[in-house]
Amino acid sequence: MPMPVLPAPLADLMAALGKLPGIGPRTAERLALHLVQADPSFVRQLATTLTNARDRVQGCATCGALTELQPCALCQDDRRDATLVCVVERAVDVWLLDKAGTYRGRFHVLGGKLSPLNGIEPEDLRIAQLEQRLEREPLREVILALPTDVEGDATSHYLARRLAPRGLKITRLAHGLPAGSGLEFADDLTLSRALEGRQPIA
Amino acid sequence: MHLTRLRLRSFRNYGRLEAEFGPGFHVLLGGNAQGKTNLLEAIYLLATLRSFRGVGGAQMVRHGDKGYFVGGQVLGQGAHAMRMYWSPSERRLSLDGQPVRKLTDYLGTLRAVVFCTEDLQLVKGPGTRRRRFLDLLLAQTDAGYLPLLQRYTRALRSRNLVLKARLVDEALLESFTRDVVGVGTQLTQLRRELVPRFSPLVRLAYRRIAHGAEELRVEYRPSVKQDFAVELAQARGRERTYRTTLVGPHRDELQLLLDDRPAVQYGSEGQKRTLAIALKTAQAEYVGGRHGTPPVLLIDDVMGELDARRRQGLLPLLERAHQASGQVFMTCTEVNWPEELGSRLQRWEVKAGTIEADRLVR
Repeated sequence: MPMPVLPAPLADLMAALGKLPGIGPRTAERLALHLVQADPSFVRQLATTLTNARDRVQGCATCGALTELQPCALCQDDRRDATLVCVVERAVDVWLLDKAGTYRGRFHVLGGKLSPLNGIEPEDLRIAQLEQRLEREPLREVILALPTDVEGDATSHYLARRLAPRGLKITRLAHGLPAGSGLEFADDLTLSRALEGRQPIA
Repeated sequence: MHLTRLRLRSFRNYGRLEAEFGPGFHVLLGGNAQGKTNLLEAIYLLATLRSFRGVGGAQMVRHGDKGYFVGGQVLGQGAHAMRMYWSPSERRLSLDGQPVRKLTDYLGTLRAVVFCTEDLQLVKGPGTRRRRFLDLLLAQTDAGYLPLLQRYTRALRSRNLVLKARLVDEALLESFTRDVVGVGTQLTQLRRELVPRFSPLVRLAYRRIAHGAEELRVEYRPSVKQDFAVELAQARGRERTYRTTLVGPHRDELQLLLDDRPAVQYGSEGQKRTLAIALKTAQAEYVGGRHGTPPVLLIDDVMGELDARRRQGLLPLLERAHQASGQVFMTCTEVNWPEELGSRLQRWEVKAGTIEADRLVR
């Protein structure tokens, strides 16, 4: 019995969708089948939206956050504290921190973390750009808001060491218990970090 | 704690297996190459996610099939359903129907200790074997150990890669050294605390099994003597030559001494075999003691290797597992069927990838 042949454009679409993060072969298949049977005007509009977004969104030349404007709105905002810069791993972290609402300084996206296991070295990150900003901008404190896994911690220490000669204040986010929860929800590593980072209470 | 149900699909020589087990003593009988050890392997795999035969997933897939499935139900503190699927392109692991995100949530659901011919490598093999044994023992008794070990391993591998670069970036090296030292110090500390609690159990087990006059001692020889950071700094010159991390818990040794002489060099074959069994017996006792319930014992044909007198030494462990409503699975070929185990046995006939319960023996 001959195998049912998948039309080539459909197979191509599945292959393309399958390259997206979080999309396995099954989902790619379902999405592709949906798209080739959907209202043509919807699909055309989707295609335009896709290319538009890709063409118009770029990394901010200054901080690396995703933006349509150069420099981005966060870098242009005069009401933000220009003496503070918060260093994050990914562009999405900028939004997470900004959404939390309490931070009113500048941002800097590294675009990754040091990872010998994945071949990511200091030159692959936006560290030189950060140093240029420290020359140019009136920054006085660098806040490191990187992940606390092996690579994230190593990146924090690397930056702290590399920036130390500049005489800036360098801080990192506190490790500790999730706000509003009990001790039972913290794993051992978090608990021991929280204990190390304990603070006097008035 | 005991396994109440085992399901296999395309695992080794089992196309399909559904079996239910009660607590107590199970003897798996059958000729060679019928699949007795494969059953123990499946149970151990479910407990530890590793094969005690030291093989990867591909070797456990039934010939000609795509992937294997192993599922089990455990009755311990509550009932739990464990399921795993492995194929070259896909791995799935679930506990009570939920995908497992952190291994620490899964491990510990079923605790098992295996006795097999590979155990001899604990005595004769390189230090890696004994370190892995220590790691397993700690992972089975301290929930915080595995995350530390995983973190150490990742930091160490990163650091070694930095050392392998043509031009070593000192700042980068230092960044990974911090975790290696910090987490490594905790690992050394946990191992240092474990060994004195564990070694008396090994000594007693050895004496019971061997009936010999020789005195066994188990000693922890950590790579780090006092201060990891200092000792690592002192090794920097040599590290430049060897391009790898030369100090740390990944170089620890667990020394086995018979009358103060290294067992690996001076022990007879019989002594080494007894020592391996003593280590496993002590593991079962220690893990059982820490949790208040004995682990499931998986015994692969070791009784056959021991003479009747040495076998007697192992019986108390088996008896205890029996009394504490633990569970023991033991493979035997008909020939070396151990008489002294008495009649309270569930006997299973294993034949060409099927198992069948015999009525209670004799």
